[in-house]
Amino acid sequence: ATPTFAHTPVEQDVTGTVRDAQGTPLPGVTVQVKGSNKGTQTDANGVFKITANPGDVLVFSSIGFVGTEVPVGNSTTVNITLQGNVKGLNELVVTALGVKKTPKSLTYSTQRIGSEELTTAKDPNLMNSLNGKVAGVNINRSSSGAGGSVKVVLRGNKSAQGSNQPLYVIDGIPMTNYTVQQPNSTWGGDGTISYAPGRDGGDGISNLNPDDIESISVLKGASASALYGSQAANGVILITTKKGKNGATKIDLSSGFQLDRVAIKPEFQNKYGQDPNAATQSWGPAINGAQDNVKDFYRTGYTWINSVGLSGGNEKMQTYFSYANTRANGVIPENDLSRHNITFRETGKFLDNKLTLDGSANVIIQKINNAPVTGLYFNPLTGLYLFPRGLNMQPYKDNYTKLDDVRQIYLQNWPFNEDVQQNPYWIVNRNGSVTERNRTLFSASAKYDFTDWLSLQARGNMDRTNDTYDASIYAGTNGVLSGPNGRYITSNLTTTQFYGDVILNLNRSFGDIKLNALLGSSITDTKTKGLRADSYNGSLYVANFFTLQNMTPGSQISTEPSRHQQLQAVFGNASISFKDLVFLDLTGRNDWSSNLSFTPNGSYFYPSAGLSFILHDMIPMPQAVTYAKLRGSYSVVGNSVPIYVTHPVNKLGVSGGTFDFNTIQPFTDLKPEKTKSLEVGTEWRFLKDALSFDFTYYKTNTTNQYFQIAVPPGTGYSFRYVNAGNVQNTGVEVLLGYNLVNSKFFKWNTTINYSKNKNTVKELAPSIDQFILTDPGSNAYTSLIKVGGSYGDIYGRVLQRDEQGRIMIGADGLPMVAADQKFIGNPNPKWQAGWNNSFNIKDFSVSFLVDGKFGGQVLSMTQAMLDQYGVSKASGDARDAGGVVINGVDADKKPVSTIDAKTWYTTVGGRAGVSEQYVYSATVVRLREASIGYSLPASMLKSSFVKNLKLSLIGRNLAYFHKKAPYDPEVTMSTGNGLSGVDVFSLPAVRSFGLNLNVTF
Amino acid sequence: CTKNFEDYNTDPTGLTEDQLKPDFNFIGGFYPQIQSSIYYNYNNTTWEYQLQQNLIADVYSGYMMSANPFRGNISNLTYSLVNDWNGFPFSLAYNRVMAPILEVKRRGAQSVAPDFWGVALILKVEAMHRVTDIYGPIPYSQYGQGGTTSAYDSQESIYKRFFLELDTAVTNLKAYIASKPGATPFAKFDMIYGGDYKQWIKFANSLRLRLALRIVKADPATAKAQAEKALADNGGLLETNNDNVMVSGFGIRHPLYTITNKDGWSDISMNASMESYLGGFHDPRIGKYFDPASDYPGQYKGIRLGGSITAKPGYSGFSTLAYKETKSIKDNSPLQLMTAAEVYFLRAEAALRSWANPGGTAQELYERGITTSLSQWGVADQASEYMNDAVSKPAAYVDPKNAANNAPSPSSITIKWDDGATFDTKLERIITQKWIAIFPEGQEAWSEFRRTGYPKLFPVVNNLSNGTISTTIQIRRINFPQAEYVANQAEVQKAIQLLGGPDNGGTRLWWDKL
Repeated sequence: ATPTFAHTPVEQDVTGTVRDAQGTPLPGVTVQVKGSNKGTQTDANGVFKITANPGDVLVFSSIGFVGTEVPVGNSTTVNITLQGNVKGLNELVVTALGVKKTPKSLTYSTQRIGSEELTTAKDPNLMNSLNGKVAGVNINRSSSGAGGSVKVVLRGNKSAQGSNQPLYVIDGIPMTNYTVQQPNSTWGGDGTISYAPGRDGGDGISNLNPDDIESISVLKGASASALYGSQAANGVILITTKKGKNGATKIDLSSGFQLDRVAIKPEFQNKYGQDPNAATQSWGPAINGAQDNVKDFYRTGYTWINSVGLSGGNEKMQTYFSYANTRANGVIPENDLSRHNITFRETGKFLDNKLTLDGSANVIIQKINNAPVTGLYFNPLTGLYLFPRGLNMQPYKDNYTKLDDVRQIYLQNWPFNEDVQQNPYWIVNRNGSVTERNRTLFSASAKYDFTDWLSLQARGNMDRTNDTYDASIYAGTNGVLSGPNGRYITSNLTTTQFYGDVILNLNRSFGDIKLNALLGSSITDTKTKGLRADSYNGSLYVANFFTLQNMTPGSQISTEPSRHQQLQAVFGNASISFKDLVFLDLTGRNDWSSNLSFTPNGSYFYPSAGLSFILHDMIPMPQAVTYAKLRGSYSVVGNSVPIYVTHPVNKLGVSGGTFDFNTIQPFTDLKPEKTKSLEVGTEWRFLKDALSFDFTYYKTNTTNQYFQIAVPPGTGYSFRYVNAGNVQNTGVEVLLGYNLVNSKFFKWNTTINYSKNKNTVKELAPSIDQFILTDPGSNAYTSLIKVGGSYGDIYGRVLQRDEQGRIMIGADGLPMVAADQKFIGNPNPKWQAGWNNSFNIKDFSVSFLVDGKFGGQVLSMTQAMLDQYGVSKASGDARDAGGVVINGVDADKKPVSTIDAKTWYTTVGGRAGVSEQYVYSATVVRLREASIGYSLPASMLKSSFVKNLKLSLIGRNLAYFHKKAPYDPEVTMSTGNGLSGVDVFSLPAVRSFGLNLNVTF
Repeated sequence: CTKNFEDYNTDPTGLTEDQLKPDFNFIGGFYPQIQSSIYYNYNNTTWEYQLQQNLIADVYSGYMMSANPFRGNISNLTYSLVNDWNGFPFSLAYNRVMAPILEVKRRGAQSVAPDFWGVALILKVEAMHRVTDIYGPIPYSQYGQGGTTSAYDSQESIYKRFFLELDTAVTNLKAYIASKPGATPFAKFDMIYGGDYKQWIKFANSLRLRLALRIVKADPATAKAQAEKALADNGGLLETNNDNVMVSGFGIRHPLYTITNKDGWSDISMNASMESYLGGFHDPRIGKYFDPASDYPGQYKGIRLGGSITAKPGYSGFSTLAYKETKSIKDNSPLQLMTAAEVYFLRAEAALRSWANPGGTAQELYERGITTSLSQWGVADQASEYMNDAVSKPAAYVDPKNAANNAPSPSSITIKWDDGATFDTKLERIITQKWIAIFPEGQEAWSEFRRTGYPKLFPVVNNLSNGTISTTIQIRRINFPQAEYVANQAEVQKAIQLLGGPDNGGTRLWWDKL
């Protein structure tokens, strides 16, 4: 102990760490000795050092926190916790590579979502919980229920053939987020075989346990993600996971049970029955009411997520462990999911706190039975919906099989032989599939602080995922989809990613100038080994026996995919600030990609620069303004190119041992795509930070896109590649937050996010004015990119009209259809907005989220087919009304005001009909989430070992305030680039409500 | 360190030059794909064949008709030509036949293995005459020059080139046989003749005869010269059913089996014209070609082209191809490109035209054509009864489901040869029997129907061509692929000049003269 004398104060060094309520160190906090001019700021680790006398009072202040005064006393250490007065205002922002920065210094827009927002109303795929909460992010869920993937597009689609999804980064390390499989046509299809189930193989992000996540930061613009180079042209979603904390041991238990019910069902007619001349159709005579076969099919699904998290530790070592169990039963019979997530994380400090080690292991085991498919094939919903009205499906439910006397085998019991429909109960029981995923993630990082301004960090990670898929398709399945002995499809795919980086960090002040710099290098190595087999083009020797050795010759068996890709990079970043008023941020990154080998363009440099000004400290402002910042940045980043395109080879055909001669011209001067991005924005806070406002404008131009374009086959090639095009996205994002009431007993916080994106295809390749994303095949839906249009424009068949716009009726009495497919809509919303409200009334908390996507059009092929078959309510109403009212003209130029319902709907309806008639506004406004929670008051828990207990009633997708389409336009058939804005018998959206219990011990 | 990058970016499932070296694979390995792609079922995709031939030539030839109301009966089957379908004969031929043949050439086949090159030329002519017979002008002489455009040739110049290529093929193969008698280096890759070059020469000569007769109206002098050359060649022609050009092996399956099979797609059935002729003639091959209608036990029932097809099951209870009873179309049936029977009918026509060396009178050759065909289908015992039937005529057609499709007998032609008949009647007789004999090769049947007008086929019921195709004259060609208009616009415009008429289904090809 230091001897002290009351009458002779001794100046001494006082040090300490300033943290927020969550225990996170706070940098940039001003520390002053009250009544003097002595002052300093906390460093990046929240640590400060100041000389003071015992008895002095230290004043801590920082934007967004309640100013706090602490007497020094005799101690030389002052550790304090600052209480935030506005949520999220001064939390450190995690930026690229896991670097934490103060919000002041950011030259671009980010948005952070905390753990509570992700776990209040949990979704098995955590990205769905972000929907409506982040400006500039468009999230579409796949139609394959629990375990399905999600399509996330930040600030508009950019790339024609590359990915448009963001990079996911966990604790600074890029994560693999490939999707094994997506449907590739309105039939379904799996990319290589047309007559295969249209399945969603799930993505990487959907596997994570939401309870393990501390926060998610969305780096929307390319500037924010420039440090990730070519992987991050579409923005980055940074995920920070929980780790153990210094202090008492804590156990969190969480149990959430939700019921899921189909929210939207097609409307059927109940007055006309089966057509005696065409048994599959319902254009027959009048009937007295019809059985609701659809209602009998769907069941109430549930999602039950239980998790336990343990954390604890001391100053030196912290431990975090969690286990989560997810069980979900789909609304379609026989569909269920089970998932186990196990996480273990250990952090520790060694060598006099100079060395920090952090290691974690994640194990994910997931199994999905009978994941719902989409498209016309293998889909129970086609047969279910098209089933003739007035007939009872019960006999086909009770006996979906029947004995074939000759073969002595139970085959499908279904009265129709049509490729597009089967007995739905046969499909769910006899066209089943099992999808399994086993994933392990190991990460380790070591950081050594040489001095308080220089540190070196090294990280490594291995992410290994094994995906298997087995479809057992029984004999008796429709002959277009299976051989007479059934069909077996199996695939086994292992993807392993190794990532490593080394980063040197430097933080120094030179008078008023502060430098925060890093220099690093990284390597990402990804290997995929696969095996695929499908008996489709061959057969099975023994019926209903699903093994490889039962496949006959002619079956497709391949050791594909087989891929090895490597990306190496060197990067650097310098953030320079002057008096904490002006911040300059410069980054540069050079990539070397193995996918670019065989070209002279193996290496690429991507720069970015940004500036921000803290206005309120520079210019006198009215009292109401507590924070004002102006920022701008510009960057150039790339998007990687696929493997092998620079070097196509001859292969063996999929069956029979023939050589498959390659007719794709090698792309020997391929360059990576380039996205130039400009972003300016401003942030303001008023009324003691109660009101906050954030505005961003951006403009991105994506050029050098690589296109695979058809060349005339007479040239000797079928396709060639070009680097060309210019796809532009411009838009604005607005965030508005207001703490309307902030009293002790009642709190009301409201936030609004708004974003608008305009996508323009300015040019494609020379002499090419369109690029097809989804080929129509024989159906009336095409998705393409066309010069002058915007990404994902939908083309379809349209009626022929005369100069007065009247529908032309041919001599045969049928409406005339134009020969070529025409533009009929674009599925992307013009703007979207979310309105989030949370209320705290004593121990109750209430929150709800309303969000809307406005503009855009979608196509319902489902409705077109229901009309064609005469089962839809529209087709019945038209018959009741004596026909369809049209503004038409016949071959003799005489006006036609009504047309026979059957003539009309069998011409315009159907998968290849006049799709123009089935385009609907995609605008949808919904109550996305709502919850009412009750926490046991702290006073009651004082002496209990339970520290916190909260029970909430939650709901998701509770109500549609506005919706014109006959399905939920947010559900997408594929999370790839194509099949956007079309519904082909997709699993309907569900409405969920349930109960959450959170207990902390 | 990027030294392994090229290794990473090389698909390990691709074939390297080192792997191609042994067993002459570096040239021969490409032939199975070529042979599987003419009557297309490479990789057994089947739907590509459906669009390459089945929903074009197989229906326009009067052989088949679909019980499936494709595109709401607004499709090729009602003369509303579907652009999304009709590019397939074109792209498949170039990408799967011409491209590997070009590769074989690049690898030096002409000098390293002139015998292989000879086979390639025969396959090329066999594949590409089908394509020009569908569209008219096509890219040919300037094929494979890279770049972004490809020039078309007139059909006349393409046919001239075919004959020259067959010259080279026969010369190369004869030279090889002379230098190495009995050697069969091509056997491993041969899906037709087990490497026997003598058979390939017969095929080449027969093909020359087929092509010569095709152009008889457009260029009679060349037709006669080429036909006589084929007839006189010491390599001979296809004479027995063992000589038939049948493709099998390398896992190839018969696409028609999958398409017609009720447990499969049930997308193709018997055409009303086939019912009329085979039924009217009491032809013993009817049960070999078709299964009785499941809706009308014991009867064979065809469907009118262009009829209003109701949704399945609608017409699917009519006669399908014979996959069930006599099982002549099986999963593993070989794919028939040309038969000895056809060659006898070609020779009969040559005799009818009084060309040199047909090897018999028109009657003798006509009758040998019939007997050869009947024996091919295992009903030779009924040959003399059949050939001597001077009474039976094609029957009128009755559609039990829709009387609007009923039609009177299309022709009064009979079977028995009549030497006193007019040239036209004799030609009708020859071509009608040839049409029956070469089933199910719709491509050749449709071409010969267009050249000769025989057999007289039922016209399309609903003609939705907007007046571009005459119902009575029937469809003459398929328009150029839409993809060519997108990627090769200028050259397509020149091709339309070469075609000499609008690019639609009503314009006659060069050899298709009135």
